Amino acid sequence: MESFVSTGVIGLSLGTQYALLSLGFTLIFGILGVINFSHGGFYVLGGYVAYSFSHLAGVPFAIAVLLAALACAVLGYFVELLLVERHVNDHLTTMMITLGLYLIMTTGTLVVFGPEPAEFPFPVSGSFRAGGFFVPYSNLIVLGVCMLVIAVVYLLMYKTRFGIALRAMADDREVAIAQGLRPAQMFPMAFALATGLAGLTGALVTPILALEPHVGESVLAKSFMVVILGGLGSIGGATIAAFIVGIVEAYSSVYLGGSKGALTLFILVLAILVVRPNGLMGSEARKA
Amino acid sequence: MKMQPRSRNVFFTDMWALALLAPMILVPILTTNQYYYSLANQALIGLVAALSVYIMLRMDLLSFAVPAFMAIGGYAAAIAAKGGNTNLLLLMALSFAAPALVALPLGALVLRLKGVYFVLVTFVFNEILQLALFETPKLSGGSNGISGVPSVTLLGMDLGTNQGVVYVTLLVAFVATLITLAVTHRYRPEFASIEENETLAESLGLATWRYRTFGFVVAAGVAGLAGFALVNMLMTAHPSSFSSFSGINYIAYAIVGGRGTMLGPVVGTGLLVWSSNLFSSKGEYSAGLFGLLIIVVVTAAPSGLVGTIHQFFKAIRRRLSVSADLPTNSDAATSQPIKGGGP
Repeated sequence: MESFVSTGVIGLSLGTQYALLSLGFTLIFGILGVINFSHGGFYVLGGYVAYSFSHLAGVPFAIAVLLAALACAVLGYFVELLLVERHVNDHLTTMMITLGLYLIMTTGTLVVFGPEPAEFPFPVSGSFRAGGFFVPYSNLIVLGVCMLVIAVVYLLMYKTRFGIALRAMADDREVAIAQGLRPAQMFPMAFALATGLAGLTGALVTPILALEPHVGESVLAKSFMVVILGGLGSIGGATIAAFIVGIVEAYSSVYLGGSKGALTLFILVLAILVVRPNGLMGSEARKA
Repeated sequence: MKMQPRSRNVFFTDMWALALLAPMILVPILTTNQYYYSLANQALIGLVAALSVYIMLRMDLLSFAVPAFMAIGGYAAAIAAKGGNTNLLLLMALSFAAPALVALPLGALVLRLKGVYFVLVTFVFNEILQLALFETPKLSGGSNGISGVPSVTLLGMDLGTNQGVVYVTLLVAFVATLITLAVTHRYRPEFASIEENETLAESLGLATWRYRTFGFVVAAGVAGLAGFALVNMLMTAHPSSFSSFSGINYIAYAIVGGRGTMLGPVVGTGLLVWSSNLFSSKGEYSAGLFGLLIIVVVTAAPSGLVGTIHQFFKAIRRRLSVSADLPTNSDAATSQPIKGGGP
């Protein structure tokens, strides 16, 4: 019973991490129609920037995380402006560009930081104990911060003019442009927001999980899972799906063991897609 | 009927893809250098995998599942060879049939998905297959894979020598190219109408699901052939040979070369395999240089190298015919710089 509760909390914590990660992915797809293969790269970059600031420069962890998010956002802004913008309507080309970018980013971190996992422990240790079950403080803090950021993203997307404009762009680009919205200004900002979220997640989560140059691939695969399940481009769908994936993963890895758990998850996703080919909350799919 | 000359043009370009394979026969005769053998094997295997991507692209479907089908074909051949069946033709047939049989029910499941969902699901399918390999150690050797796969034989000849392996890979590439040529030309109008507008094709009475499934099954079989050639070269079937990210390389081969004709995958594979071998001397920088090359090519030549060169020549020909038609203006027309590039 105790392990059941603590596994549940870890599942929730995983769910918030995945939600944050896939929100960025699904935002870029929903607004620009671009599948961002470098999303995992920004996650890793965020981790390494936070690591450099907090361990090598001695900046407090919280500020290092913010700096990491900012650095990824700025990089994302220029990537969109200089590389993606001109080809934004061509799925294959943007896919190849972001893929090439991912390879370059991985190489960059590999050259600078080496192939070994970085020593990047979470600054708060110890566990919260109550009634026989215990949860590490680090998981609770990540859970809280991720929830907060998700709330901020929701406020941004649904309550500000900027967010409404972005959603208008996602809904129907032609009408939005006819109404006077400028894609050349919105797209880099949307891309920056998404990569900033990826960087933030990386900075927060890599101290708990692992920080090494090649971890981006599995992160990308996980974002794929979540957005397929939730429905591409749907913010609500991604959030719900992230919690499903996190909780299923936590329980199945405890009760079924590592790779069997992952296998269960994949098969669950395939089964849901058979029933709902556009994901849980997806609308009509775009052409690839 | 107006389509006729164009489709004949495409057929000629596609035949070039086949013709370019022929000189590869000379590789084992001209040299005993292991480096060139390895380069030839890599390029040919990459080409077969890229052709599998190409078949799917003809129907406007981007498939990441190539490594998964390669793994099924490769493991099927490895298990059969371990069991004592080392006949080359038998193993080739098996490595084509096994993934094709898996693709048949899978296609019914995933071909209902449209656009990007299909892309992402095929990516997930790789992950599932990787896990399945680890979970079935009795059949697939789990994380150890199947090592010491015996070399293939044909008519009593042992093809395990270095030259033999190149010839086996070349034969596989030749067969795969022929299959791709046959399928993409036999069903060219059907595939083109699916690529252009599937709903319209369906409403005009084309049973699109039948052609999509057929294309998917053949693409899986072709990928299986690539897997067989890879296992035959390495003499080992191991999960790491079929990682999901290798699927991205094969897609890059097809797109960098150009998705319009079969010459595209040939040119793309040649260029990228050659350059990644060149880059590998740069050690840890190699992946980054590869990424940079992909970005440069797709931004400079969005329709692929072959497509862009084709457009370039068409523009020149148009320019020449204009100057031939107007002899009085010929001086002005030819003295114009080419890079001015009018519409």
